Amino acid sequence: MRNLILALTAGLMATTAAHADITVYSAGPGSLAKNLIKGFTAKTGIKANLFQATTGKVMARLEAESANPVADVVVSASWGTATDFEAKGLLLPYASPNAETVPDFLKTKGAVAQGVAGIIIGWNSKSGTPKPADWSDLAKPEYKDLVTLPDPAASGGTYTLVEAFTANGMTDVLEGLKANGAIVAGANKAALNPVLQGAKAAVFAGVDYITMGAAAKGESVEAIFPTSGTVVAPRPMMILKSSKQQEEAKKFIDYVLSAEGQNEVAKVYLMPSRTDIKVDRPLIGDLKLLSKDGAPSREDVLAGFKGIFN
Amino acid sequence: MTTGAEGSALLRWIATIGLMVIVAIPVLFIVIQAIFPNIGSGSFAAPFSLFLKTLADPELIGLGRNTLFLGVGTLFCAALLAVPLAALRALYRIPGALIWDAILLIPFMIPPYIAALGWIMTLQPRGYLEQLTGINLAPLLFSVPGIMIIMGLNTFSVVYFVLSRTFETIGARYSDVGRVFGAGQWRSFWRITFPLAMPGLAASLLLVFAMSIEEYGTPAALGRRIGFEVLVTGIENRISEWPIDLPGAATLSLVLVLLALAAFMVQRWLLTRRDYRIVGGKPQANDKRDLGVWRWPVTLWFAFVAFLATGLPILAILATALSRTISGGLALSNLGLDNFQQLLGVGSDGLVALGNSLALGAVTALFAGLLGAITAYSVVKGRGRLRIVLDGLSITPNALPGVVVAVGIILAWNQPWLPITPYNTPFILLLAYICILLPQPVRYATASLHQLGDNLEAAARVSGSGPLRAFWRIILPLILPSMITAMILVFAVASRELVASLLVAPVGFQTIAVFIWQQFDQGSMGLGMAMAFSAVVITTLIPLALISLLKRLSHGNVAGLN
Repeated sequence: MRNLILALTAGLMATTAAHADITVYSAGPGSLAKNLIKGFTAKTGIKANLFQATTGKVMARLEAESANPVADVVVSASWGTATDFEAKGLLLPYASPNAETVPDFLKTKGAVAQGVAGIIIGWNSKSGTPKPADWSDLAKPEYKDLVTLPDPAASGGTYTLVEAFTANGMTDVLEGLKANGAIVAGANKAALNPVLQGAKAAVFAGVDYITMGAAAKGESVEAIFPTSGTVVAPRPMMILKSSKQQEEAKKFIDYVLSAEGQNEVAKVYLMPSRTDIKVDRPLIGDLKLLSKDGAPSREDVLAGFKGIFN
Repeated sequence: MTTGAEGSALLRWIATIGLMVIVAIPVLFIVIQAIFPNIGSGSFAAPFSLFLKTLADPELIGLGRNTLFLGVGTLFCAALLAVPLAALRALYRIPGALIWDAILLIPFMIPPYIAALGWIMTLQPRGYLEQLTGINLAPLLFSVPGIMIIMGLNTFSVVYFVLSRTFETIGARYSDVGRVFGAGQWRSFWRITFPLAMPGLAASLLLVFAMSIEEYGTPAALGRRIGFEVLVTGIENRISEWPIDLPGAATLSLVLVLLALAAFMVQRWLLTRRDYRIVGGKPQANDKRDLGVWRWPVTLWFAFVAFLATGLPILAILATALSRTISGGLALSNLGLDNFQQLLGVGSDGLVALGNSLALGAVTALFAGLLGAITAYSVVKGRGRLRIVLDGLSITPNALPGVVVAVGIILAWNQPWLPITPYNTPFILLLAYICILLPQPVRYATASLHQLGDNLEAAARVSGSGPLRAFWRIILPLILPSMITAMILVFAVASRELVASLLVAPVGFQTIAVFIWQQFDQGSMGLGMAMAFSAVVITTLIPLALISLLKRLSHGNVAGLN
């Protein structure tokens, strides 16, 4: 009897852990990750298993697994994770033939952007407030107590914006927001929800594709690219050096960068990383981008932000 | 003094090995992680380097103080809500008593982070309450007392169920004796019935305290807005914000565990000072008193608390699930079944996730219930120093945030030298759930075992049955009512567990909570809430069906099920 149970258990473990050819760890959006996996398997016949979570959870799992890595390909929503992994020597250098039209700032030796998110003002058009055009508008009396912003410690996009503000001497905008009663509300979703329900009028430093997705579902919310400029958050894809299926992993990167893969990226309102894919939304080339040159370290940027908002 | 109640050696071994594998190993790896920051990649370099740095962080005092404050405040709110209701329920005939029991079970079925979201959707400016009545209670919601009240509402049912069963077992017999000797109704309750209920009260309040210092969703959703950070949110930040700080999170978790163990020692001290054994024979006929003129006020009070704890969050979840868009509000034109159609569509991910979670929940409930009963038995009726270690181990997971248990489990079970591992299979979720939820059945079983005299078991032993047989035939049936309640809780909580699932779920495996979270992440609040609503309904109906089936099978012989 005991042997039977043992055999059954071992058998069950073997089947459930059956090796798909590659394992992909991806930060959201989940529908994109799922469709990319589906399309990849359909095109190449290579199976792929997906673990999907936030960037933070993906990184925590990678860290806890580092004695015995499981993932082959990692897709993160934060470019900093790629540079950090690269510095630690964890990444397999790969230049995909499909990455030729990806601008240089969206690729390194070991990472290439899957797509790009823009940082915007998300404004509820039914809030009864005037439509904002620039960041500083949200510090005006019309928006008193009506603005939320994601915590830069939890949201990579907000962090990049605060970093650029710090580099360009624009932190007075943040001080104006604080004086106007803006509140810091967790990660991106926690900041957007009160705006959708109307508790707040606008989210400062929202994520464009989430806001556009909500608008496409019929929510009365608009994504506004501020006139003084904004920042983008490229989503790096990387192959881990520890991967035992490196050839298959490279094919996955190729697929995501193919016209077909990039159209999947565009379907969830992200900007494709390839400049030769045309979609109906503002693209990287259409945006005025703030430089981050001369920005202090992450700790100093966050400490500066805390100093204003605490 | 040998009473024949020293327990079975086999059961003690099962409890010890079970707790070692399920609790001690992951906890050990968390301790190792706290000490050796690079253990994840197999290196023992730089021991204690980050440990002291984290402990020296001036923020830690604030986090610890807030955590204690929140735990005590929540415990206070929960006791205030639960004790009067439980006493009334156990000692008097309450109109619709069974219905109130069923309704008060539901707060367990609602994941706390969903309940918190429901409250936010209801009470925030232009939320459902303001849309319907024009009243805006946002200042109360986003305040420290607000967090305590909401967490009290989420957890008081633990106290209500344990205490109403305890009061019921005590019955009116003892206070009747007091009345005969001339004490008034109140006096005999406060001097006799209430003190006898201490084991149940202390055990359930300890659970509430541990649950509230370990709870992440509510403090994160509400506290962050007002800058109220606790240890758990500090831990979660270290695990989910770049750069990841696993050693820091592990160190803070150990502080949290120390807090819970301190509470556990206080509870032990309370319980060992006196003798609470009141069950010395077969169950007594239980005649409850009539409420008389208080019939309607008491019923109204039950209805009010049930509405706050269950009705309001459920209505908020349902309203969001029925809304086509959030910005459309509660207008009739904005309401429809679209989200439910999408959720329950043929071959949808939602159905797969539901099936996975319900199966995992049921298996977790069975294993955790059995291991919990055996552990509690070894602790209460066993001898020797080991039993205190077992008891301490069994409460430890209650103080560990799920996300930290998950990290410990990955560290322990993803070692390259393991010949076979449950990691990356659904078994790993089973291990995680049993670990996180084991404290519930252990506490429940401990409370009822403390009231069980040794003479019953001794009688069985004298009549020739071995210790194992005495456990199966005498002890287990007597504590079964409490165990069933505990297993229902385990089932409900396991089927909607979020934080550990997010981290250790095998690749490609979906559970209810992961599905809900992914919908929220994509901005499909309505679809997520539709899943939450369906999950609450299903996890409520299954236990209720089970209880009525058991009642029919046992012909009402099992005390506590009526």
